[in-house]
Amino acid sequence: MPLVRKPTGDSAAPQPDSAEVQRLLASANPDERWAAARAAANVVGGVSAIAAALPTEHDQRVREAMFTSLARHDTTESADAIVGLLRSDSANLRTGALDALRIMVGARPGLLPRLLSDKDADVRILSCELARSLPDVEATRLLCVLLTAEQEINVCAAAIDVLAEVGSGEALDTLRECARRFGDSPFIAFAIKTVTARITSQSTPNRG
Amino acid sequence: MGVQKTILVVDDASLVRLYYRSTLEPAGYRVEEALNGIEALERLPIMAVDLLIVDVNMPQMDGFTFLSKLRANESTLASIPALITSTESGERDFEAARAAGANFYLVKPVEPEMLLEFAAMLCGVPQ
Amino acid sequence: MAEFPVLTEEEFRRLCEYLYRRSGMIFTEAKRYYVERRVHERMSATASKSFTGYFARLRINAQNESEHFVNALTVNETYFYREDHQLKCLSTDILGERIRNKRKGGMIRIWSVPCSTGEEPFSVAMWLLENWPLVDEYEIEIVGSDIDTKALEQANEGIFGKRALMRLSPYLIGKYFSAMPGERWSILDDLRHSVHFSRVNIVEPNETRIQGHFDVIFCRNVLIYFDDASRRIAAENLYENLLPGGFICLGHTESMSRISPLFEVRRFADAIVYQRPGESD
Repeated sequence: MPLVRKPTGDSAAPQPDSAEVQRLLASANPDERWAAARAAANVVGGVSAIAAALPTEHDQRVREAMFTSLARHDTTESADAIVGLLRSDSANLRTGALDALRIMVGARPGLLPRLLSDKDADVRILSCELARSLPDVEATRLLCVLLTAEQEINVCAAAIDVLAEVGSGEALDTLRECARRFGDSPFIAFAIKTVTARITSQSTPNRG
Repeated sequence: MGVQKTILVVDDASLVRLYYRSTLEPAGYRVEEALNGIEALERLPIMAVDLLIVDVNMPQMDGFTFLSKLRANESTLASIPALITSTESGERDFEAARAAGANFYLVKPVEPEMLLEFAAMLCGVPQ
Repeated sequence: MAEFPVLTEEEFRRLCEYLYRRSGMIFTEAKRYYVERRVHERMSATASKSFTGYFARLRINAQNESEHFVNALTVNETYFYREDHQLKCLSTDILGERIRNKRKGGMIRIWSVPCSTGEEPFSVAMWLLENWPLVDEYEIEIVGSDIDTKALEQANEGIFGKRALMRLSPYLIGKYFSAMPGERWSILDDLRHSVHFSRVNIVEPNETRIQGHFDVIFCRNVLIYFDDASRRIAAENLYENLLPGGFICLGHTESMSRISPLFEVRRFADAIVYQRPGESD
């Protein structure tokens, strides 16, 4: 078999600078836009450039790379850009934004509380998910704060689903109260019953 | 008694999947689960599925992207009936659902009776 | 036979959901016994008196338990012809697609990353020699990369113990290895020189890019150890390293569904693999 001994890998192309990134972001070639998106995290003005380009970028892979760069950049500017896209009409952009926020939320303490008190219920629904990326105790606390005041049924549903994973005994009272408020909803009743049973069985280890 | 129908629930919320299962199984359906569109695409080729119940907002791949990819497929998978569920009652997701090739659109939370009615209809089960 | 705690259905479900969310590993009911055994192992190791207590440890990652548990769940031993269904997929389906747009004598590049002590890339070489009828008609370059330089040193030496060879038939061992004292075997020079080894951290694009572009990448059982951010970056790096139409194979409990939407799902008879879209070169 002609097994080749020497590697024939390319040497890495030099990474684009700020001006080049701007130019490449406008390229008709998705591979060039991809390269620009990845490099943008490291150049001056990169974040603004991606934030401006993202909403109209139609290549899903380029979008993904853009979101990654924004998330890695990890500044208020990049967080704001991503949060803006949580409100998008495009489900694909919403998913991209949420996936990016997932990796930011642990390191930015104010971010999730802010999202959970957003006036847009759709933002609150999506943001409940992000609590999974925090330590259980904090996640439980934030979700209980949300649930106590929450009027939108789907926000409650989202919060309860996360509590199914992270919830501890502290959540029981809040859940009970929520069940009273949304007692008419078969799903909420089912969800709270399931989570309550789970939390309760957790605190009573049944095997030595 | 006809052949048992299989429903694949694609939703990242474990309680939603459990809830649908607890409604559909007693009614005689076999229920399979996937956490998002990518997992569904991995498993569909070897599953005989009569109905998809697909959520919209899921990590990595949203429901519309999944459904569009499925409909673009060349095999019989492309024509599996699909019910989209969404928390949105507004127009934007409804239009997107139609464009992606959904057969029906239900707003969450879905009542058990509604779920059963649509399941029966889309699986061709006489009621 | 040791008694170990049987997980309730609820506990098993919760654990699997947790594993999937944290590491991307997928375990179904069919793997219950396997998972329970590892739980038992880790419960003993951590002196946990109940699954509840152990799960709490796992969730807060007390003393790195997350990593220990994932370690326990993956068969960390590397050996020749491990997960050979993917090798079968390579020779049966993947390469067939890759050569569609290649001329005879054209180059096929395959990357094994992480390659550890070399068993995987050497297995690819051997498998192709044994099972791919067209093996002599193309230039095949195999690269093995790892972050661990000690492992790479060993890989370069090409000397293996009995356990590494346990899946190989006496025929294969006789054909590709020469026996050494102390139950060790040395892989034939030709084969040893046919794989190029390099040090690479797959989260660093500067290190991955210089490896060039590949037709097939084997990246098994490493992404499960990464956090979400690193996993994402690694996936983008690997995507860049694939030629348009190139394939990437993960470990058999792994799925792109928790990692990245960049790749298309391709389900073949022997394996689920993932593909970079686009025309083949």
